[in-house]
Amino acid sequence: MKVHEFMTKKIEFIDSNKSVYDAVEQMVDRRIRSVVVRFAGKETDYGVLTSRDIVFRVLAKGINPKKIKVAEIASKPIACIDKEMDFEDAATTMERSNIARLFVCDEGKIVGLISLLDVMAAELVLRARGNHVS
Amino acid sequence: MFLDKILSHGKKERYVIEDIKRHIELLCTACDTFITSLEKQDRNLMWEVVELEREADSVRREVISHIYEGAFLPYLRPDLCKFVEIVDEVFDLLKETAFYCVENDIPEPLRDESIRVALLNFRMCDMLLISFDAMLKGEDLREKTLAVRIFEKKIDDIKLNLVKEVAQVPIENFWAGKALSDFLTNLTMISDIIEDASDHLQIINVSTR
Repeated sequence: MKVHEFMTKKIEFIDSNKSVYDAVEQMVDRRIRSVVVRFAGKETDYGVLTSRDIVFRVLAKGINPKKIKVAEIASKPIACIDKEMDFEDAATTMERSNIARLFVCDEGKIVGLISLLDVMAAELVLRARGNHVS
Repeated sequence: MFLDKILSHGKKERYVIEDIKRHIELLCTACDTFITSLEKQDRNLMWEVVELEREADSVRREVISHIYEGAFLPYLRPDLCKFVEIVDEVFDLLKETAFYCVENDIPEPLRDESIRVALLNFRMCDMLLISFDAMLKGEDLREKTLAVRIFEKKIDDIKLNLVKEVAQVPIENFWAGKALSDFLTNLTMISDIIEDASDHLQIINVSTR
């Protein structure tokens, strides 16, 4: 089963010069756990900011989220996989890199996202399908 | 075992089982043809979907008449007929979506997501066929119905994106807008009906144990 069949295409972006507070607002409002960070002038240059980054690196340390830019705490580079990759290989990549989400890219541009939950759902579908080939 | 319990009575049951299977296989073929014609933007191929729906209609009639000629124990007959009719509803929705595509191009911002929904619909039909085979072997359908629900949930997520996107699409007039809205409603409703069919199969499976 290929990742493009099951990936999420609803991806939220934020500009790197925005404040962490803006990111928090966006994430809480849209009920998402991460946003993709866009850097000015570079179309295929991305970073990622997760709720974990925000809580551990900013809020827990008592730093004012309005006074820190997204670019300062975003992780770079992002982990990208090809849309034709199988879910089994995607799971291996996640395990090796110890990450909870992988971005699906096409010629450097993000076209989707798969999370641990998507991998688990794909596993259930594969089990149900058994040896059947469609 | 499903087979032991119902097939020992005669050939009529076997015909019905074969026809129901053919009905679902036709649905898989129709969904697959629909995807190919969407991807290739081939309107002639889209007519194939309509033809397959007509063929499926005659298979449905055969199944129902065989059942009421005396195939299966009476308590099973309404459930089997209901299952075939639910699958037939999927054909009707697919035909409606095909009609839209024969007459119109899908707006570019909606094309990719529409193809993804069509692909997931096909996967669900495929899973329905797997479930039916599993039921005939007397297997538990729990994993299969769960897989169908996962696909359905995924389509629901895509539907939200489509609804958001369609609001940005320029519409020429009321009727063009209504046709596009109906197309999206039908395309995304197919999964709901397949889920109903899968649930009904589970009911039949449980009732024969």
